[in-house]
Amino acid sequence: MNEGWLALLQQALNLLFSLDPEVWSIVSVSFSVSFAALVITLLPSMILGFVLAFGRFPGRWLITNLIQTLQSIPTVVIGLLVYLMLTRMGPLGDLKWLFTQKGMILGQMLICAPVLVAISQAAFTSVDRRAWETSRTLGASWLRSIWTLCRELKVPLLMAIVAGFSRILTEVGCSMMVGGNIADVTRNIPTAIALETSKGDFSQAIALGLVLLILSIVLNFTLGILRGKAEPRSH
Amino acid sequence: MANLIAQNIEMCFDDRQLFTIDRVQLSEGNTIYLQGDNGSGKTTLMKLLAGLLKPSRGTITAEGFAPLPWWRSNPLLGKAIYLHQHPYLFDGSVEYNLRYPHPFSDMTASDLNKRTLAAIEMAQLTHLCKQAASSLSGGERQRLAIARAWIMRPQLLMLDEPTSNMDKYSQQLVLTMISELQEFGTGMLISSHQACVLTSLCNQTWIIKNQTIISSAASVNPTHTGPINIQDSQYVIAN
Repeated sequence: MNEGWLALLQQALNLLFSLDPEVWSIVSVSFSVSFAALVITLLPSMILGFVLAFGRFPGRWLITNLIQTLQSIPTVVIGLLVYLMLTRMGPLGDLKWLFTQKGMILGQMLICAPVLVAISQAAFTSVDRRAWETSRTLGASWLRSIWTLCRELKVPLLMAIVAGFSRILTEVGCSMMVGGNIADVTRNIPTAIALETSKGDFSQAIALGLVLLILSIVLNFTLGILRGKAEPRSH
Repeated sequence: MANLIAQNIEMCFDDRQLFTIDRVQLSEGNTIYLQGDNGSGKTTLMKLLAGLLKPSRGTITAEGFAPLPWWRSNPLLGKAIYLHQHPYLFDGSVEYNLRYPHPFSDMTASDLNKRTLAAIEMAQLTHLCKQAASSLSGGERQRLAIARAWIMRPQLLMLDEPTSNMDKYSQQLVLTMISELQEFGTGMLISSHQACVLTSLCNQTWIIKNQTIISSAASVNPTHTGPINIQDSQYVIAN
């Protein structure tokens, strides 16, 4: 049994280090789609997080709770929603994005945004109000002051980015439904792992799993280093 | 001459009225001692004048300042620099904090650099320049915050309990910087719950009492003209 596992691991490593085109095509689709979704969502989500943390307006409580709820909706449900929107009969059917990377990006944006908004809102809420006041009284514009706050909150905001990216890079449900798991087009790491496992081809599944594992280790250790440098502030 | 004029102000928090003001004016060239018990509203008044808070009722106007760019929505912000009782220092080195406001000043880069070097010298922060601001002691933080404001050579400056964390040595250093600003003509509002070395510079007093402000001539050494040495000071060293 152990020898079997070792053989599978060796095959998986061979696939990775021999730069197997199929494996690396899947990795490339996964990263390009998730990175695009993250980049498009990042700024608007952070701004919404800031507005929800500092703004006082009717509906703020409702929006905050809606976003908290959206975080916990299964990705397959979001996939179903996006599928219904993109299907030929749906409101966005004319875009013809179903089973394309654009459709996957749209779905991943809807999954990523609530995570980014919720964590950035929590980060902005926790910031010392004097940081804003000091920046403004010294003459900084509101835009520059927001940038200052982001700088002061770089660790929690980076954590939000890592959390959002991790969630979309590893989700299966939405990618499977909206992307359709088409080889070299919409097949990403999670859908490929699901497919290969169901076929019994574990070596490729393990190879792709290792990529996710290594990425997870790199991201979290980077965050750990940043967090380690951020000494507790004595105000 | 730059002025901040507060008229018919009422400040309430929820249902509690903090104070009302008929009219007060903070002008360049004036150094005002703001007195009041704990919770009387000294900090709130300063934040109102700095544009960091909005009054429940009444108006605060700024006169004699350079015209604002079109994108500035709050006409009071940045007019008078307000220094917190416990100053906030940005994440970074002492030098980063001193250079933070440079882009917001009208002075040339060369002048700003000269003033920064002078401020570091005056506040005795030379050996701490590269150190993280978060590692400074209470007195050093106050000196750094005051040095940061000093570099900007503000027209109006408000200091909230500025000597509360300072030993005699730090107070002397701060006194030098504040005196220099006073000679330049900076209008200052200094709050303190008890007389201290900085209040000796004041030529007017505002007292918050019974939810209103009484403005009067300073009772604490208003005729100060020469240099003050902290060692000879008759004033209470706060905390």
